[in-house]
Amino acid sequence: MSARTWARDLSLGARFAVTGGREGWVRTVLTAVGVGLGVALLLLTTALPSVIGKRHDRDDARTDFTFSSRKDIPRGEDTLVSAHVDTSYHDEEVRGRLLQPEGPEAPVPPGLHSLPKQGEMYVSPGLKKLLASKDGALLRERLPYRTAGTIGDSGLMGPRELAYYAYSDDIARHVGSDGRVARIKQYGDVGEAQDDEGLPPVLLLLILVIFVVLLMPVAVFIAAAVRFGGERRDRRLAALRLVGSDGGMTRRIAAGEALAGSVLGLVFGTGFFLLGRELVGSVDLFGISVFPSYLTPSPLLALLVALAVPAAAVLVTLFALRGVVIEPLGVVRTARPARRRLWWRLLLPVAGLAMLSPMIGKGNENGDFNEYLVVGGVLLLLVGVTALLPWIVETVVGRLDSGGVAWQLAVRRLQLSSGTAARMVNGIAVAVAGAIALQMLFTGVQDDFTQDTGRDPSRAQMEVDMTAPGKADLVAGKVEERFQRTKGVAAAVALSVDSVSERRKDPELSSDITVGTCASLREIADLPSCHDGDAFALPAPSDPGQGPGDEVDQLLKPGLQLYVDPSFSGSPKGAEVVWKVPDRLPVVKQRHDALQNEIWGLLVTPSAAPAAALPQMSGRVYVRLDHAVPDATEHVRNTAAALDPFSDAWTWVSEKTSDQYEAIRTGLFIGATCVLALIGASLLVSQLEQLRERKRLLSALVAFGTRRRTLSLSVLWQSAIPIALGLVLASVVGLTLGAVLQKMSQVPVQIYWGSVLSMTGVGAAVVLTVTVLSLPALLRLMRPEGLRTE
Amino acid sequence: MTPPSGSLLAAEELRKAYGPTMALDGAHFSIHPGEVVAVMGPSGSGKSTLLHCLAGIVPPDSGSITYNGAELATMSDAQRSALRRSEFGFVFQFGQLVPELTCVENVALPLRLNGTSRKEAERAALGWMQRLEVDDLSKKRPGEVSGGQGQRVAVARALVTGPRVLFADEPTGALDSLNGERVMELLTEAARSTNAAVVLVTHEARVAAYSDREIVVRDGKSRDMERAV
Repeated sequence: MSARTWARDLSLGARFAVTGGREGWVRTVLTAVGVGLGVALLLLTTALPSVIGKRHDRDDARTDFTFSSRKDIPRGEDTLVSAHVDTSYHDEEVRGRLLQPEGPEAPVPPGLHSLPKQGEMYVSPGLKKLLASKDGALLRERLPYRTAGTIGDSGLMGPRELAYYAYSDDIARHVGSDGRVARIKQYGDVGEAQDDEGLPPVLLLLILVIFVVLLMPVAVFIAAAVRFGGERRDRRLAALRLVGSDGGMTRRIAAGEALAGSVLGLVFGTGFFLLGRELVGSVDLFGISVFPSYLTPSPLLALLVALAVPAAAVLVTLFALRGVVIEPLGVVRTARPARRRLWWRLLLPVAGLAMLSPMIGKGNENGDFNEYLVVGGVLLLLVGVTALLPWIVETVVGRLDSGGVAWQLAVRRLQLSSGTAARMVNGIAVAVAGAIALQMLFTGVQDDFTQDTGRDPSRAQMEVDMTAPGKADLVAGKVEERFQRTKGVAAAVALSVDSVSERRKDPELSSDITVGTCASLREIADLPSCHDGDAFALPAPSDPGQGPGDEVDQLLKPGLQLYVDPSFSGSPKGAEVVWKVPDRLPVVKQRHDALQNEIWGLLVTPSAAPAAALPQMSGRVYVRLDHAVPDATEHVRNTAAALDPFSDAWTWVSEKTSDQYEAIRTGLFIGATCVLALIGASLLVSQLEQLRERKRLLSALVAFGTRRRTLSLSVLWQSAIPIALGLVLASVVGLTLGAVLQKMSQVPVQIYWGSVLSMTGVGAAVVLTVTVLSLPALLRLMRPEGLRTE
Repeated sequence: MTPPSGSLLAAEELRKAYGPTMALDGAHFSIHPGEVVAVMGPSGSGKSTLLHCLAGIVPPDSGSITYNGAELATMSDAQRSALRRSEFGFVFQFGQLVPELTCVENVALPLRLNGTSRKEAERAALGWMQRLEVDDLSKKRPGEVSGGQGQRVAVARALVTGPRVLFADEPTGALDSLNGERVMELLTEAARSTNAAVVLVTHEARVAAYSDREIVVRDGKSRDMERAV
C-alpha cells in the first residue's frame, strides 16, 4: 500500500467531510467542536509550566526580604526600608508593604514608576476596584492612604491580586528588631539558592496521579468525538462501496473524514484556547488569577498535540471500523454485532496493578517512586475502565428486558448500540474512578500534612499578634478595652509574652514569661486566688512529646535571677532585662480548655512584671466574636491595624494543612472543574448528535401518538443505565486504585464512603444536567416538521 | 360548504402556510368508514400537509376538521395524541420502524402505548403479522429485513390497534413495483376487513388504483376526480 494511495483516500474523505451538504457540515462541525474542547484543555495543560514559571518569576522579581537581607545593610542613599503588612479581607489575601525610602536612589518595586509619598499608596487594579466598591468599605478604613496610582502588571502575580505599597516614615527603627521589617538595596535579590528538598514523595505521587486522572478523560473524549455521526457516515460509505471502492479504501476515506474533523478541531481548539486565554484574566479560581500572557503553550508540547490529535483520529476510526461490514447494497450490518470478549479487557487493569505493586510502601521512606511505573500503572488501570465498560454495558443490558415502553425503547437501543452508550460515559467513568482514588489518597495522607495549631476555636475565634508600637498600652489594659469596644467583639483577652533565661546571652535554659491581668491569666490556668502583684509557675506537661518539659521547670524557682529577652549569637541583641522571680510562686495547672495550650512557664500580673521589659514583649489579644454581627472579623482587623500596622490578626482554626498539600489540592479542584465542564459539554454535544440522527423516527413516533413524556423518559434511561453501570465500575476501580495508592503511601487502607458517594454524585449530576439541557432539542426534534420531506 | 353526511373525517377550507409557502389554500376533504381515498398530486403540492392536518399532527392555520362529528381544533395536544394512538393508524414512506426494536415489538408498540400488557400486545401483533405474511420476521430487527417486508411490518403496526382511519403517506414510495403492489393489496384488504377508512397519499396512478375515490391536490387546493370505470 503506497503512501500516495493513503494520501489520496484520506484527502477524498476530508473532501467528503466538507462537501456533504448541510448534514456533512453539521457532523464535521460537531466533531470539530468536540475535538476543539479537548484540544483547548490540552493546550491549557501545555501552558501550565509557563504559568507556574512566570508566576514564580514575578514573585522573585518583587522579593524584598530574604535570608541575605537579614545581614546588616547600612542606611544609605540607595536603601529602602520595607515592612510586610499583609492582611486578609473577606477571606482574600491582601499583600501589603509599607515603604520608607532612605535616600533618592532607593529601589522602586516592580510595577511602580516611583515610590509612594507621605499619605499615599499604590494599589493593584483588583484592590482599586474593591476599594471603590460598596463591598470594600471596611477595607478602606484599614488602609488610610490616598490612592496615588496603580501597580503595573510587572509587579503583580495575577490580574486580580489584591496588593498595595504605602508610604511610612516610622518603620526604619524596627529594622533588625522586627522580623517583618527589612532594609534593602534592590528588589529581586532572592539571595543564595536554598537547598531545594523537592516535594515529599507522597505529594509527588499525588501530582503524577492528578495529571493522569485529569488528562485521561480528555483523551477518551477526543476519541469519542471523532466518531460523532458514525451511523450516517457508514451509510454514506456503503454508497461508495456501490461505486467500486474496496473495504480498505472505504476505511481510509472514513479516516479522512475524521481527519478533517480533527484538523478543524485543532483550529477550533486554538480558537477556544485563545478565547479562554482572554477570559482567564477576569477569573479568580480558588484564589489564583493569572495574566493572559502567562498562558503560552510550550511549543514542543503544542506541536505534539497538533500531531497526536489528527493521528489519533485516524487510528480510532480505523480501529472502530474493523468490526463493521460495509457492503454495497446492505448498507451497514446493523444486526447484533459479535459479543465482546472479556479476557483482554481484564488484562489491562491487572497489568496496571502489576506495575503499581513494586511501588507499595515507598511513600514515607526516602521516596523512591518510579514515575514511569506509577504513571503507566495508573494509566492502564484507567484505560481498563474504558475497555471494561463496553463489555459490562453489553452484558448487563443484554439481560434487561421487562418494563414500560420508555424502558423498552431505551434498553433495546442500548442493546443495539451498547458501544455508543459506553463511549459516551467512558470519560466520566474514568474521571470519577480517578477522583475517588485521589480523594482516598488525599484523605489518607491528610493527617501527615496537617498540624494541630494548639488553638481552640470554641474559646476564641481570632488572635491579634502585636509586635511594634502600641505594645506599651497592652498591659495597661487600653488595648483590651479598644478591642472590647470594637463592633462584633464579645470579649477580648490581652497577654504579653517573652522568653526568660538563666543567662544574659546564649542561655542553655529558657522558658516563657506571660504577663496579664488576673482575668486574662485565668484564661490560661486555674488560679487559686489572684491579685495584681502575684506570679505563678505553670510547669510544662510531663509528656515528653508535649513541650520543653524539665528545661522550663528548672527556671520556675522563687527568688531566681532571670533575664527577660536574652540575646543569641548571630541574632539582634535582646533587651536582656534582669528580673528576680518573686518569692511567692504558687504552682498552678493549665486550664483544661486553656485559650492556648502552648503557654508554660511564668504567669505574672502587671505589678509583678519587669517594667523595663514590657515594651519589648510581644502582645497577643485573643478575641471572642459575636457572630451575629456581620463582618465582625473585619472590624477586629481594622482595630488591630489602627493600633499597630504590623499587627497580625488571624482567624483561629484547630488544624492547619501544609501549603504544598493545599496547593496540590487547589490544583486538583481547578483541573477537575475544567475536566468536568469538558465532559459535560462533550456529553451534551454527543447527545444532541444522537438525537439529530433520529429526527425522522422521533417525529414518526409522535405522529402515531407516542407521548412526548415517554420519549423523554426513554432518553433519560438511555443515559441513566450506562452511567449507572459506569459509576459502579468507576467506584470499584477507583476504590482499588485508591487502596493501592494508600498502600504505596504507607497509610492504612481506609475507604471513605462519603467521598465515593460525592464523586459518583457529581458524575450523576453531570449526566442529569446534560439530559435536562438536551430536552429542549429533543422536544424540537419531535415536532411534526420532521416528517416533511420537501 | 358542509361535509357530506355520514363522513367519518372531513375538512373544510383548510389553509396552512410554511413561511411564505402556502401548502394548503382552501382544501376540502371527506371520507366515509371503509372507504379508500387516494390523495394525489405532484411533489410539493400539499398532499402530505393535508394528511398531517387530517391526522391532527399539524394544526391548520384556518379551516375546520371534524372527526366523528368532533372538531379537532378544540382538542388539546394530549387529546389529539390519544386519538392518534387509538383511532388512527399510520404508514409512512421512511423512518417509521424503530430500529432497535424487533419487528414484533414494533408492531406491538401502539398497543403498548395504549396501556396493553406486553404479552397481550405481542400476541395481537403476531396475529397481524401473520395476516400480512411477515410472522417469520417477528424476532428480526428492521435493519435485517428487506424494504418490502419492513413496509408490511409497518402496515401491521398501523392496523394492530384496529384504527377507524388509516393514513398512508407514499407507503410504496421506496419499494419496487412488485413489492409495492403486494403491500397495497394487503393494506387495502386488511383495512376493508376491519371497515377502516384509508387516506392514501401517493403520486403514483397504479397505487391510486387501489382506492375507491381520488382527490387531486394542486397548489394547496383539492379537487375530487371523476373516475372512469
